[in-house]
Amino acid sequence: MNMTAPREESVRPHDWPGLTDAVHDAQQRFRRLLGCMSEPGTLTSMALPSLPPGAAISSAAWGTLLALCDLETRVWIDATLSGAGLAAALAFHTGARVTPDPANADFALVTPTTLTQVEEFALGSDAWPDRSTTLIVMVETIESQGDWQLCGPGVPGERRLGLGDPDQVRPLMRVLHANRGRFPRGLDAFITCGTQLTAIARSTRLSGPGLEQPELSSAREEIA
Amino acid sequence: MIANSSIADAAQGEASGYNFAYLDEQTKRMIRRALLKAVAIPGYQVPFGGREMPMPYGWGTGGMQLTASVLGADDTLKVIDQGADDTTNAVSIRAFFERVAGVETTTATGEASVIQTRHRIPEKTLRADQILIFQVPIPEPLRFIEPSEEETRVMHALEEYGVMHVKLYEDIAHHGHIATTYAYPVKVDGRYVMDPSPIPKFDNPKLHMSEALMLFGAGREKRLYAIPPHTRVESLDFEDHPFEIQAWEQPCAICGATDSYLDEVITDDQGGRMFVCSDTDYCNTRREDMA
Repeated sequence: MNMTAPREESVRPHDWPGLTDAVHDAQQRFRRLLGCMSEPGTLTSMALPSLPPGAAISSAAWGTLLALCDLETRVWIDATLSGAGLAAALAFHTGARVTPDPANADFALVTPTTLTQVEEFALGSDAWPDRSTTLIVMVETIESQGDWQLCGPGVPGERRLGLGDPDQVRPLMRVLHANRGRFPRGLDAFITCGTQLTAIARSTRLSGPGLEQPELSSAREEIA
Repeated sequence: MIANSSIADAAQGEASGYNFAYLDEQTKRMIRRALLKAVAIPGYQVPFGGREMPMPYGWGTGGMQLTASVLGADDTLKVIDQGADDTTNAVSIRAFFERVAGVETTTATGEASVIQTRHRIPEKTLRADQILIFQVPIPEPLRFIEPSEEETRVMHALEEYGVMHVKLYEDIAHHGHIATTYAYPVKVDGRYVMDPSPIPKFDNPKLHMSEALMLFGAGREKRLYAIPPHTRVESLDFEDHPFEIQAWEQPCAICGATDSYLDEVITDDQGGRMFVCSDTDYCNTRREDMA
């Protein structure tokens, strides 16, 4: 999990693809990420040369990390996603540090299942809501139609999103649904599958199977 | 990697020795991460590590840092100052990005993909594929009421905005109407009160449910914030004193527009004056269409 851990001999960090151009490739990726986060539920693609065998994250997630991470960022990685020496590759390509503490992470690589086990990601505070963890989530499919209904900033009317089996992604959607009650604190998510990517911002109102109406925020304890 | 792009820049006949769009990649990434937070929390002022730009504060350093972080080689940039493409600030910033980024520039609103602006929103309705970047002098709408940053931060956290309405009420008590005409405070998505930068209140309705993404950068104060497309933006007002925009008795003296923001121009020392469109591209386009 951390950078000093012995890495798998078969895959070396430079077997993971880097940006084709540190300046322009990063800029184009960022614009796609910005487009998705400002218009939640829209789909974009993040093409990359294929990831090395054994890699458990999507290439869109890897492309996001390459575009946004550097030595100022801390990344939390779910144990099931760390295959093919991801931590070492991340350090090699971006200089980002891997943190074992989810509350300390700027970015967290997760699956929907992760969110049933780990709850400590940083939500920011009411005064500093930007000091939060951004989730980068692996899902089975992404479609522009399906179970989940998005509205709010960036969405004209409503937008639909399908993420495969609703039971499987419900832990993720529950967490993102809870954003509404604690706004402006919350988690933003980039949701990825292969080269496809979409985003759900904390300002997004979610509804779908198994999501209750949002509770009114009773917790205002964290001001400073 | 940086050396490579400098060589490419030099090959295109631009200033060499600079990274694309002046800022280094590390700074751009820091600003980009802050921008992603800003669009996720509409109207919230995200702090960022503002850099020194080769021009003084107050000339658009915040807007320029955002432009530099957003801009790509295939973008077409437009820069306006008070609506005009041909004033000092606009000409300088446009020339700056021509030199350090080699991007195409334009004065036509419809042809631009990124528009940096000081104190106006173009009259022509913006599209979904355009980004408008505002230069912001003082990002905190509560600053003139509460000088302490610690206090205003808690006020935002608690959504404690009553004092803003008191200020508008005092306007009514003194003048019989709300006398705030520019930097008119807005509420974004029903949550954050935000300073839309010193745009005339005439432009406030254009913030509401805009197709284009709007980003705001304050260089001296090192804050950036955003309004995503299709976001509710309401100008603060009272039921019995609803928000109103400026209106003029005459049309633009040059193009005859009745739907645009007009600047008063003094023409002599005998009291002569005329009213003309502040948006030069809008005015020129209308004139060309008529000719």
